[in-house]
Amino acid sequence: MERYNLIVVGAGPAGLSAATEAAKNGMSVIVFDENQKPGGQLFKQIHKFFGSKEHKAKIRGFKIGEQLLKEANDSGVKVLLNATVTGMFLNHEVTVNYENAIHHYKADSVIIATGASENMVPFEGWTLPGVIGAGAAQTLMNLHGIKPGKKILMLGSGNVGLVVSYQLMQAGCEVVALVDALPRIGGYGVHAAKVARCGVPFYLSHTIVKAEGKDFVTGVVIGKIDDHFKIIAGTEEHFDVDTICIAVGLSPMSQLLKMSGCKMEDNPKRGGQVPIVDEYGETSVPNLFAAGDVSGIEEASSAMIKGRIAGLRASYKLGFCTDDFTLPKFTEYKNDLQSLREGMFAPKNRGKLIENTEEGIPISMNLLTKGFIADDEIERFPGVTKQKGVHPVIECTQNIPCNPCQDACVKHCITIGQHITSLPIVKNPAPCTGCGMCVASCSGQAIFLLNEDFAHGFATVTLPYEFLPLPVKGEKGIALDRSGKSVCSAEIVEVRASPAFDHTNLLTMKVPLEYSMKARFYKSNKSNEKKNN
Amino acid sequence: MNDRNKDIGAFVQGADDNLIICRCEEITKGEIRKAVHEGMFTMPEIRRYLRCGMGLCQGQTCAKLAKGIVASELKVSPAELEPASSRSPARPTEMSILGNEIN
Amino acid sequence: MERITEHPILGAPQKGSLVAFTFDGKKLQGYEGEPVAVALKASGVMIHRYTSRFHLPRGIFCAIGRCTDCVMVVDGKPNVRTCVTPLKEGMVVQTQYGCSEKKSW
Repeated sequence: MERYNLIVVGAGPAGLSAATEAAKNGMSVIVFDENQKPGGQLFKQIHKFFGSKEHKAKIRGFKIGEQLLKEANDSGVKVLLNATVTGMFLNHEVTVNYENAIHHYKADSVIIATGASENMVPFEGWTLPGVIGAGAAQTLMNLHGIKPGKKILMLGSGNVGLVVSYQLMQAGCEVVALVDALPRIGGYGVHAAKVARCGVPFYLSHTIVKAEGKDFVTGVVIGKIDDHFKIIAGTEEHFDVDTICIAVGLSPMSQLLKMSGCKMEDNPKRGGQVPIVDEYGETSVPNLFAAGDVSGIEEASSAMIKGRIAGLRASYKLGFCTDDFTLPKFTEYKNDLQSLREGMFAPKNRGKLIENTEEGIPISMNLLTKGFIADDEIERFPGVTKQKGVHPVIECTQNIPCNPCQDACVKHCITIGQHITSLPIVKNPAPCTGCGMCVASCSGQAIFLLNEDFAHGFATVTLPYEFLPLPVKGEKGIALDRSGKSVCSAEIVEVRASPAFDHTNLLTMKVPLEYSMKARFYKSNKSNEKKNN
Repeated sequence: MNDRNKDIGAFVQGADDNLIICRCEEITKGEIRKAVHEGMFTMPEIRRYLRCGMGLCQGQTCAKLAKGIVASELKVSPAELEPASSRSPARPTEMSILGNEIN
Repeated sequence: MERITEHPILGAPQKGSLVAFTFDGKKLQGYEGEPVAVALKASGVMIHRYTSRFHLPRGIFCAIGRCTDCVMVVDGKPNVRTCVTPLKEGMVVQTQYGCSEKKSW
């Protein structure tokens, strides 16, 4: 039986962070993961993360995963893959199914970081091939390079549903609709806006009536629901699809913790069956910790910090680091974690309808119910100003801990301040050079450059563009508004790509002046022709 | 809480009783609801009685759904029901591997 | 289903060498090391098995080896999770009926 100072179960963001932290303090650490590759769900995240520099904002999820893995390897952490922990026993002993044998391992402390599993909503036909989880869609397109389907209906408007819908379009699939039983969109407004401006309709207060097909999905019927979640007769709508994606939340995978005998609770705010833990993630069993989503569903950024906190606490309790070293570090990590738990989507605000931003500005109700800010709502926000010449227009309208735009502008046109949930303010007049760094740095793709003095009767709108094929300078097409509706003709006057933009290309389109505050997305005439053929 | 004398009314057929809840063992919503009326008031009993949650995925997909159905039938909130216990092995393991134990 | 040849963020997918395998006797091709389920999907296969009780078709559901809906008989062994099993040259993949490659109903 091998013995370690620390056993970590799960090599996702929380597990790797915990293991690295402990290893850096001199503990002998082994990490078990039942999958073939480490990183948990992190390597499937191709979008840029939110938060601040400390939270690795502006960096794509899979790149963060690569950094994390390298750090773990450099710190001497041993990671065993295809190693399934089958049992959690007394005195920190685990059994592991590895290479066709059951192995016993013992440690002085154990951190369980097994993450979460997807929730389900059953409906008639849900067992047909073609109905997949949102995680499955991500795995297929981002890890294995294959389209999950051609025409897809997404169920669920939380961050997962919104982000995966966008990724499906990046992979070349068509998302025919986004459906949610709740009356308001659950995820970030900026994620919804990215999807809405591409023309994907949102059907809130709707649910799936049935999936059609004999051997596999060929269509789907949705219907509006009343206050008792019953379908209202006559509201049914049919879509031709070959795939239905379910993204209705996550539940912690806490079986090993239950086995250990630690105190558990059913906490809906944390996602379900979770262990009762202290501020360090320690359960009622001494030196048994829970880190990451298994102790409460949050984000990958939170999981990494929770992992570090547990790793540090385990090291401290076993005497691997001193008070002088540990206590300031705890404070730093706890502050990092707390700053992520602020704003409109903070765990404490879950389920509440927030009507005004922290600044007292009424939230866009259209954004919450249809996925896009209405024309008469947009001018309320401090990121939207009327100025001469090129200047940024920031359509960031909800308080989320996030500030890469502030650091992106070398001319200091954008301010968020100490409190990173504050809405970004654009200086008026802004000494903007039109470099576009802010547009590329916004993880929510909510920043545009506007120039209403481009030419007589015309304005230019520079937008972030992460699709293929990339339009070319001089080509003509249609500009779409925030709801994805075609509003006017557009001509591409500039296309910029740069390593500094990290695959967020900048498209500058010329539109008639009266549409400068409406035109927010572009479709080439070529793609319209293809569709009609 | 687990009061066998509680009157939960008679079993009433539901429109969606044919819906498969436990995908692995193919247990329907109607079967789960009927089981409650046959006296299975706890999740461990439902699992043993129907095999709901005993298939290859070990309840990963159906546990929350089954709990909700049982709770609704008992007219309590799902949080009041004790979940079925978790026992080793946490994942399906072949007998040849269980028999190959390295201490 | 189409494979992605060029992705706006990820570029071109890294794949192993093209190998041959059989599905219900049919000769198919896929990339060595990728999950069997992906190779099948690229060839348009949607149904992986038929269930024991209601004889209904199942395919890929969770794609990470958790739900066991995608299991098939691979090289004679049933209940193999095709979404996490790497494809090897000459693999024999068969539709699973219940727990076997033979339909007993």
